[in-house]
Amino acid sequence: MNTKISLAILAVVALVVGAILFFNRSDADPQALASQGGKVTVVEYLDLECPACGAAFPGVEKLRSEYGDKVDFQLRHFPLPMHRNAEQAAVAVEAAGSKRDEMFHLMYSNQQNWAGKQTSQRETFLGYARSLGLDIAAFEKAMDDPATLSKVSAQRTEGASLGVNSTPTFFVNGTRFEGAPTYAALKKSIDSALAK
Amino acid sequence: MIVRWVLTIGGLLGLAAASALTIEKIAVLKDPGHVPSCSIDPILSCGSVMRTAQAEGFGFPNPLLGIAGFAVVTTVGVVLLAGAVLPRWFWLGLQGGVTLGVVFVHWLIYQSLYVIGALCPYCMVVWVVTIPVFWYTTLHVTRWPLLVKYHGVFLTLWFVVIGLAVLQAFWSYWIS
Repeated sequence: MNTKISLAILAVVALVVGAILFFNRSDADPQALASQGGKVTVVEYLDLECPACGAAFPGVEKLRSEYGDKVDFQLRHFPLPMHRNAEQAAVAVEAAGSKRDEMFHLMYSNQQNWAGKQTSQRETFLGYARSLGLDIAAFEKAMDDPATLSKVSAQRTEGASLGVNSTPTFFVNGTRFEGAPTYAALKKSIDSALAK
Repeated sequence: MIVRWVLTIGGLLGLAAASALTIEKIAVLKDPGHVPSCSIDPILSCGSVMRTAQAEGFGFPNPLLGIAGFAVVTTVGVVLLAGAVLPRWFWLGLQGGVTLGVVFVHWLIYQSLYVIGALCPYCMVVWVVTIPVFWYTTLHVTRWPLLVKYHGVFLTLWFVVIGLAVLQAFWSYWIS
């Protein structure tokens, strides 16, 4: 009696969850990240509070400056839930508008000052915006705009549908980069994509 | 009397999980760079959970409570299997203990899902055993006919609710 009803409950739950999964499945293809217009595309899914992403950042910056004309670098957000301020940091980066790249740089170069904190680091991020000479009122408005957050969430959802489950995850011309994302390893992967 | 087996097996599993967590905690204390055996990916990660303030709910590591508590639960289970008949006051004492345990576990589940945002596999073993230990002790003490008759159904529903909460909390990371 107990077993029968319990199994029936489990069957119904499995059916409902399965149906939700089925109708929400994504057929995202990493090849969609591949180059358009002859350039090689490097997509990085990152979490601003993740130490490994911070460690990879200088290498990525260097590659960007060296390959800027031949390679399209795209930094996309994948804030992880256990990083208290990662999502807000991503929102701050997107709220920085024309200073987006500079904000990325500030976030990572000062990562040890704000990462791992269990309190909101909004004031820290406002400080970065000030140091970049941004209009603070406009910046705060952009940070609080739900559209900025949905932009971040959309990138995370897209990353999840591409199979991203850790950060940083790189795709070079739509192929997932495996191994430690050091400057040399990424350079090698980009060079071989350029040679094709 | 199903409660004898639930206490014995649940107690042993809980004891194993609490011991593993204590061993990992000591390893982390010795070497802050130590990656615990249960850190699998960013979500399934006891390393990040063990470092939080919630992992020391009473000012010392939670698994120490588990080692003490589950050892008692196991012992009571074995004593019952040996055929002992325990007086009502003893059962009431056990009821008090498992009630505190189940309340604490639900606070930890809430913290894990909604505040910390990561799951620790060994901790989840503790969640899974504490609920039936509480449930069958309560049934034995209260003997409410409806609950006794459908004991398995209520337990299944309880697990389903927690399972769905876990799925919902980490939906965007697991669904792809």
